[in-house]
Amino acid sequence: MTPSVDEPTYYDRPALKEPVWIWSVPAYFYAGGLAGAAMTLGLAAQIAGGSRLRRFAERCRWIGALGGGLGSILLIADLGRPERFLYMLRVFRPTSPMSIGSWVLATATPLSAGSALLTRASGFRRILGNWFGIQAGILGLPLATYTGVLLSNTAVPVWQQARRELPLLFGASAAASLASLLELLPSNASERHVAARLGLVSRGSELVAARLVERAVTRVPGVGQALITGAAGALWTTSAILTAASLVLSLAPVSFRGKRSLTGAMGTLAGLALRFAVFQAGRASARDPRATFRSQRAGL
Amino acid sequence: MPKGFFTDTTVCIGCKACEVACKQWNQLPEDGLFFSGMSYDNSVQLGASTWRHVAFIERPVPLSGQDNGSFSWLMMSDVCKHCRRAGCLEACPTGAIIRTEFDTVYVQPDICNGCGYCVAACPFGVVDREPKDGRAWKCTLCYDRLKGDLEPACAKACPTDSILFGEVADMQQKARRRLHELHERGVVEAYLYGMDAESQPGTEGLNAFFLLVDRPEVYNLPPNPTVPTKKVRESWRSAALASLGLLAAAIGAVWSSR
Repeated sequence: MTPSVDEPTYYDRPALKEPVWIWSVPAYFYAGGLAGAAMTLGLAAQIAGGSRLRRFAERCRWIGALGGGLGSILLIADLGRPERFLYMLRVFRPTSPMSIGSWVLATATPLSAGSALLTRASGFRRILGNWFGIQAGILGLPLATYTGVLLSNTAVPVWQQARRELPLLFGASAAASLASLLELLPSNASERHVAARLGLVSRGSELVAARLVERAVTRVPGVGQALITGAAGALWTTSAILTAASLVLSLAPVSFRGKRSLTGAMGTLAGLALRFAVFQAGRASARDPRATFRSQRAGL
Repeated sequence: MPKGFFTDTTVCIGCKACEVACKQWNQLPEDGLFFSGMSYDNSVQLGASTWRHVAFIERPVPLSGQDNGSFSWLMMSDVCKHCRRAGCLEACPTGAIIRTEFDTVYVQPDICNGCGYCVAACPFGVVDREPKDGRAWKCTLCYDRLKGDLEPACAKACPTDSILFGEVADMQQKARRRLHELHERGVVEAYLYGMDAESQPGTEGLNAFFLLVDRPEVYNLPPNPTVPTKKVRESWRSAALASLGLLAAAIGAVWSSR
């Protein structure tokens, strides 16, 4: 093999190391994002929902706590030395989105659990629960969006090129995943209404953000392929179709048994497919030396 | 005082003494017997157990100053660059990756929990997680030898002084002199890769830099590497915007159900 004079590579070998993360990391992106959105929705229900949505706020707080707990387990499962998971809290490093995210996850999850446990309490314990709920709700915002920053803060061309768009996509998708999960749970009329409204806004935003990501990664010829072709491309397209379908179905003036569940199921699968698509795209992108070199030559 | 390598690829003879010395001194596990078909390069890349890697390029292009017809050999001993702005160090969430008193970048094995973030954050594809061991490993610039006032094993073993070790300021001076000498001899292709912040702003310069005679990509070096942290501010700004949107959507959804 002789190096091409126009666009040399070293025997087509990757210029970067492929991310070593396993499936549990994109699964965490789903669980953690959903948990963050739930904490924030719990806060919204707490301050603007009144007693009518108290049970709903409690449910959101539990989703936040369980999602954060499950997310932590998924992240620990990926570590090369899982027994050293607490070293994540050994330092606080503002230059590392993973450090910031670890601190957010480790604080927001117990706060959400505490607020959930104290929702039905009265007096001082209730005030304490609401105080926890406020803090969890605020921390839910970075929890739902920092994973987009975490991926951008790498040398992987497809992730780095979408650094302005990925947090928007992950934030929208976190809310859409939450709305979908809520649609799968039995609810009363006003709870259904909240989930439907959130679903409408977040699914629409997710579709727009996904197009923005696509535009960002295809700015340099050859870089966007990682997201649009292969396994990542199949997942990416599946996600878009399922999100659009859930959006259309939720708006369709038809009613049948299981309509809500079907919408929620499609939305949930869309959220999972989206995280795995972005993850797989990064792996494919890191393997492609031309993508690395072109992206850098273009100054992006 | 900052210590580093100046690797002059024009005097590398591809003997791989550096690879062997590094393996020996650092007691790195073998990578297995593997035939790559990539010229004389069977170690293929830097990795968790390969901290020096000699690249071989059989180039159908003449090199000025050589009388070899339309052919030239390129050999280059690659290593961790010990960047002045190191992507791995800035990404490491545990504080396992530190900057030493020699200004080198070192992964503390007793701290690393194998999160793998440094692997994705290195713009040179250097650091890697060892699957069996679970931790991230890369060149230490022989931190232990430096502590004992010894030069790193690879530089010590290099028979042609292609790998020079010393204070970074001295290395830079040597490199400039060598570059001038080569240009005078007509090797106009020669240039210094990553020597200072001026030539490589993305990393603010490398403590282990190179003299090359072809484009960086030919040696599998990135043309314009940048520590990811330099660009991440825009990403945080988007996260803040997305957070505001999420908060508005949550409150709006609750509000509209009243």
